[in-house]
Amino acid sequence: MHSGDGLLDGLCPPMHEMSVAMEICQITERAIGARSPSAVTEVVIDVGDDAGVEIQSLEFCLEALFHSPPFSAARAVVRREGGDVLRVASVEVEE
Amino acid sequence: MSVTVIDVRERVMARNDEIAADVRRRLEAARTPSFNFISSPGAGKTLLLERTLAALNDEMRVAVVTGDCQTQNDADRLARHTDRLVQAVVTHGGCHLDARQIETALASIELDETDLLLIENVGNLVCPAAWDLGESAKIVLFSITEGEDKPHKYPKAFQVAKVVILTKLDLLPHLDFDLAGAISSAREVNPLLRFFFLSARTGAGMDDWLAFLRVSAAERRYPVRA
Repeated sequence: MHSGDGLLDGLCPPMHEMSVAMEICQITERAIGARSPSAVTEVVIDVGDDAGVEIQSLEFCLEALFHSPPFSAARAVVRREGGDVLRVASVEVEE
Repeated sequence: MSVTVIDVRERVMARNDEIAADVRRRLEAARTPSFNFISSPGAGKTLLLERTLAALNDEMRVAVVTGDCQTQNDADRLARHTDRLVQAVVTHGGCHLDARQIETALASIELDETDLLLIENVGNLVCPAAWDLGESAKIVLFSITEGEDKPHKYPKAFQVAKVVILTKLDLLPHLDFDLAGAISSAREVNPLLRFFFLSARTGAGMDDWLAFLRVSAAERRYPVRA
C-alpha cells in the first residue's frame, strides 16, 4: 500500500484488510481484462477462517474502494470457508 | 445488456507469491541468505540489527532493508553501523512489507557482493506473517516484556518462522516472565523452532546469534557437497 494513490483519502488509517481489498480490485481488473464491461456488479471472495482477515473490515474496505468505475455498481459477496483460503472466486459483469 | 460471470479462483496472495518466488530465485542464485525479522513493535529488532551490523561489518558484506510505517528513523540508526546503503521502505501506514517492495529494494543491492541480507519488517506480529518476501527464513523476535502466551495469541507468526529470538534477557530478573513457559508455548505452535536467547543491550547471547549468521552465510557461499 502506498500513499498518493487517492484511494484512501478520508478513510481511517490503512490496514491489512485494505491491502487485501486493493489486491482484490487488481485481480478483478485483470480478470475482466479487455472485456470493457459497462460495470462490475459482483465480486465473490472466499475467506478462510484462518486467513487472518477480519471480514467486516474487508467488507468496509471494499465498500470504500468500490466507489469508482468499473466498481461503482459492484457489491462484494464474502463466503466464509475453512482453512486459510483467500481468493477471488468469481466476478460478475454487465456487458 | 448481458450479465456474465467470470470464473476467477485466483488467490489474493498469488501475485505477491509470484514476485516472492522470483526474489527467492535471485537470492539463491547469488547464494545470499536472507532473513525477515518480524515482531511486535518495540521487541528490539532495530537494536539487534544495530549490534549485528556493528559486529559483522568488518568480516561480511551485509545488506539491510528496513520497513517502517512512517519515518526513516530505523534506517538512519542502522546506517551508522554499516558502510553499505540501508534500504528504507516507508509504508505510509501499511502494516507489512510485501514482495514487490523487496524486489524494488534489490534493484539497489549488488547481490554478487552481498553475503547476507537482513530485512526488518514493520513492527506487527500479524500481517508480516502472511506475506512471503522471498526470504530464506522468517525470524520472530519475542521480547520477554511481552506475555508468555504470545505464540498462542499470534500462532501464524510462530508457525511460519524457523527461528525465535528471545530478546531483552537482561530484564529477566526484574520481570515475572516465565521463560520455560514461553519456550513451551512456542514449541506447541511449532516444534521445529530454533531458539536464541540474548540481550542486545548487554551483548549476552550475541555470540551464538552471530555464529548462526556466520554459518548461514558460509553454508551458502561454500556449500558442503555430499
